[in-house]
Amino acid sequence: MSAVDYIIETTDLSKSYGPHLALENLNLKIRKGATGLLGPNGAGKSTFLKTILGLIQATSGHGTVLGHDIRTEGAAIRSRIGYMPEYDALNPDMEAIHQVKYSGELLGMNPIVAMSRAHEVLHYVGLGEQRYRNIGSFSTGMKQATKLACSIIHDPELIIADEPSNGLDANSREFMISTLQNMVNNGNRSVMMASHLMDDVERVCENMVLLHKGKLAAQGKIDDLKDIDREIEIHVWGNASKLEQKMVSIGLSVRREGRIMRILHEDDDTTSKILTCAKEVGSQIRRMHEYEASLEDLFIVIMENLGYEVKTSDDLLRNPVQARQVDAPGSMGGGS
Amino acid sequence: MSEQIESSSLNPSEELSFSENAPVTGQGRMDAAWGSRDGDESTSAQITNNSASVGYVFEQVYKPWNGSLNPRWMRNWAILRHHVLGIFRKGHRPWSLPTKLFIVIVFIASLGDVALTLLSALIGSPELHTMWGVNRDNLYGHVLGFFPRNMLYYPILAALLVGGVISEDRYHGTSALYFSRPISRFDYVMMKYISVAMIQAFVVLLTLMIYYFVEILAMGRGWAWIIDTFPLFLAAFAGGIILIITYTSIGLGLSSVSKGKFFPGIGLVAIVLGTKTLAVLVSNLFERDVMYLLSPYDCLAHVGQALVGTQTTYDQYSWTWSLASLVLMNAFFLYILSSRVASMEVTRE
Repeated sequence: MSAVDYIIETTDLSKSYGPHLALENLNLKIRKGATGLLGPNGAGKSTFLKTILGLIQATSGHGTVLGHDIRTEGAAIRSRIGYMPEYDALNPDMEAIHQVKYSGELLGMNPIVAMSRAHEVLHYVGLGEQRYRNIGSFSTGMKQATKLACSIIHDPELIIADEPSNGLDANSREFMISTLQNMVNNGNRSVMMASHLMDDVERVCENMVLLHKGKLAAQGKIDDLKDIDREIEIHVWGNASKLEQKMVSIGLSVRREGRIMRILHEDDDTTSKILTCAKEVGSQIRRMHEYEASLEDLFIVIMENLGYEVKTSDDLLRNPVQARQVDAPGSMGGGS
Repeated sequence: MSEQIESSSLNPSEELSFSENAPVTGQGRMDAAWGSRDGDESTSAQITNNSASVGYVFEQVYKPWNGSLNPRWMRNWAILRHHVLGIFRKGHRPWSLPTKLFIVIVFIASLGDVALTLLSALIGSPELHTMWGVNRDNLYGHVLGFFPRNMLYYPILAALLVGGVISEDRYHGTSALYFSRPISRFDYVMMKYISVAMIQAFVVLLTLMIYYFVEILAMGRGWAWIIDTFPLFLAAFAGGIILIITYTSIGLGLSSVSKGKFFPGIGLVAIVLGTKTLAVLVSNLFERDVMYLLSPYDCLAHVGQALVGTQTTYDQYSWTWSLASLVLMNAFFLYILSSRVASMEVTRE
């Protein structure tokens, strides 16, 4: 893959605030398209965003955004990206049209062009009929849409959306997600979406980056990453405990909740091993299917089991069982 | 797409006649009311065959934009326009009604000496002109002297203007709007500073200019008078600039440490009036005038008096002490301003 295909690249990027290391040796390659930026509070997401926007200087390492150096070309980066902040960033006493127009002027757009474009983008985000209303009278969803309009007024190549669906009701959330999807699929724009709502990230993004305590926990395609936690779910009737013991005795990894068990899908023989065990202990398996992990499951697995050492989906997929044991506590199968 | 729809109709070749002997049938009136003749008799009609998408009022289509962005000066110009034009027009920074009203009141009040100069010229009253016309003391007084101005008008004007300029960005989170754009902290502060200083200059310096030029026009002053008095005008102008800079620095410094406009506004007025009151109290109780150096009001007056060349209030001290004090005050509040703006966040406040 050529360098052009990556919108963000970092090499050994570190940022420290005094003794506190906020980012530690981040090596990222983010492709065009939609990417989710995940991580718990304090993971370094905000520091990462500020660093790639060129607002704070990295302590060491280097990186590029859309081909611009984050150390020396911060202004050029900010001209080509659209940033949608998580928190309120709108003047409640201004009409939406003028707020969006002003955000375009702050990028260097001619006032007349900015006004024309403000009409377009407000229509695009669904506020065409409300554009002359004061922002103070807007609902949370409308404010989020206005922030999105502010960030896309100059048709940026990369939109960084910080918690875009935060605090929205179901309809507004659906609209925001479909708008972001539309921008990626029909507008051919790239989106980096930082969010705690895994479902939203999963719907919009095909790739993800997971940070934890300033380190890269995982990155890659979401579908690939999901494979690290593939399980087979069975519904058992009779001798459930015996079946569990039997499966554990032959080395299968089993999680049990009453009659429902999930067995880690280690290889192609896992299914036949389960059936053999069931036959031997005399259990009926009433239902058996592949359990596909949600992004939330994946997040929990990575955060609790994998630790920091795993870098890419390739690493994870190379040997999922070993990967699972890298940093995981003993109770979770780790401690090797 | 269109399709032809056949219709049964009259023979198109049939012509109607309107001679004077023709029977009155109402046909002409019917034609005038319902037809234009051309195409009325056509046996076909065109209708659209587009199938409207039923139930979709809103269609979301992303429209790209291929324009180019202007350089730094245009972005800075946008900040300046946003703040300054907000005083006069909708669609820019929404200044509060009391602020706009106070600007108008102070502007009109600052033209009081202009009105009296005009009156003295109209009625030919030398006594009135001596009191209000342009001279060394009155030029100083226009900016720094006449009681309510330096003491009340201008500090309150500055307080209303600068109080929310930065603090409201912090409060509303609109600082993210600036710093996620290619706008440096320096440009942000500088353009906000110039914006509010310009609005104050509109009141303080424009009225001074009007005052001076009305004297020339109304009293028919010649070049000799202008050459004599122009340095005094420039000195008063410089005094006004120092006043604007000092109040703006203090006000913006306070605004940068707050999340509302009340504290910076009341803080600025309290500093100006409080330090003056303290200086008066110390002077009366202990017969020591040196505390005036803490008062921006007194220091501005002292420097202004020295620049214009009128009698100084604190003639036992050199005016350079007052200038040094003003420089220190400005430096202190500009330091606060710069350090606070440097810490303003994009991701959260």
